[in-house]
Amino acid sequence: MGFAAGWYALALGDGLEPGTSAGTQLFDKELVVWRDASGASHVWEDRCPHRGMRLSFGFVRGNHIACLYHGWQYDEAGQCRHIPAHPTLEVPETIKVPTYASVEAAGMIWVRWDGEAAGQPPADIAAVPVRSLYLDREPETVAQLLAAGRAGSFETLSPGSFATALEGADLFLALQPYAAERTALHIARTGGDLPLKDIAMWAEELRASLEALPAAGLAPAARQAGAAA
Amino acid sequence: MSLVLHDYELDSDSYKVRLLLSALGLPYAKVAVNVHPGHEQRSPAYLRLNPLGNLPILVDGETTLRDSGAILCYLARLHDREGQWLPANPVPFGEVMMWLFFAGADLAPATLARLHHMLEVPADADAVGAASRRAFRIMDDHMTKRELEGFAWFVGDQATLADIALFPAIALSRDFGIDHDEYPALRRWMRRVRTIPGFITMPGIPDYH
Ligand SMILES: N[C@@H](CCC(=O)N[C@@H](CS)C(=O)NCC(=O)O)C(=O)O
Ligand code: FES
Repeated sequence: MGFAAGWYALALGDGLEPGTSAGTQLFDKELVVWRDASGASHVWEDRCPHRGMRLSFGFVRGNHIACLYHGWQYDEAGQCRHIPAHPTLEVPETIKVPTYASVEAAGMIWVRWDGEAAGQPPADIAAVPVRSLYLDREPETVAQLLAAGRAGSFETLSPGSFATALEGADLFLALQPYAAERTALHIARTGGDLPLKDIAMWAEELRASLEALPAAGLAPAARQAGAAA
Repeated sequence: MSLVLHDYELDSDSYKVRLLLSALGLPYAKVAVNVHPGHEQRSPAYLRLNPLGNLPILVDGETTLRDSGAILCYLARLHDREGQWLPANPVPFGEVMMWLFFAGADLAPATLARLHHMLEVPADADAVGAASRRAFRIMDDHMTKRELEGFAWFVGDQATLADIALFPAIALSRDFGIDHDEYPALRRWMRRVRTIPGFITMPGIPDYH
């Protein structure tokens, strides 16, 4: 993998309503992104400590997330607080879901990947979220195609974030290295007033290009590209 | 007049009809067909009702209907006086029909993929999986644009037969190894479908208690 420690966007902030959860992946690792009833978002390992069920299949109860299988409930810190089959049990502190540091900035939910080496979180620029785009293409190739201008004119802001202009609107794109052969691009409008639907239609064409373009001849330097914003 | 639905609990097409019947609040008799392991839907008696040998089958007095899409339309015309589920206006009518045919044709690989995973019905798993993902992507692109224009449903500003017919394949996709992670607009829309008065689940679609 050419990508390094950094902050990676996993979802659009307003796409995750309070009291809901979504599964995703980063570098093939399954993560759950969920928003509690008070509006705070969380990024955790997507695995219930009981029997390994994906927590993103479960449901949010107030500020707890409940597993679909046997209803174990976890608080905002990932600590198991309630086991329905043993309602009076004082749940041991060891039953805890691994959690990740995360922030909301530029209309997106970002996770800190690889601890302190990730550096500062991304700047909270004003942005109107448009859509997340999922591509059947390797993350490195998508980054290289964008950087090399093969799919249009993009400015590389950092190895994992890009800017472009579309009919008077300024767009910001954050790349999520989803899996070895899958990439997400989270798209927000940072200027102009082009209707969001038009940007979404442009994004469908961008996806088609990025999935179809040949990777041959891409600059070797880009292959070493490092961290996200 | 009384409605009789020949039904199989695990059949996603039968579920579409149960879902609409429940949303319309219509009483009906359910006949459980032994599809697995009995293949009763292909017995001589059932082939007389439906020569295609599949479910659901709706019998209403002298009328016998097969094909979940046709049954949904029939029930809507007959019992939905306000025309919510199958609008009379040509534009939304055409759009609902477009998604009903999509559900019958373009989502057929998803139905097959699920039967392949659950009941070992023969299929090219890679091909039906890829075709399912193509169809789900088209649905997610559509709902993404609908949401950006302030709409919550596939057609118009309330739930229609399109939502009923499209829901099972994606709601059950984990049965055949396709997660919802890549379809954020469908994830939100599925939550809305769950709020339709009379909404019911089927095995594989969890109840959120
Ligand atoms: N829905 C029941 C499920 C109870 C249940 O399944 N209990 C778990 C323990 S928390 C169990 O071990 N079930 C047996 C099994 O999975 O083998 C509840 O939440 O009370
Ligand atoms: S697997 Fe989560 S509660 Fe059992």
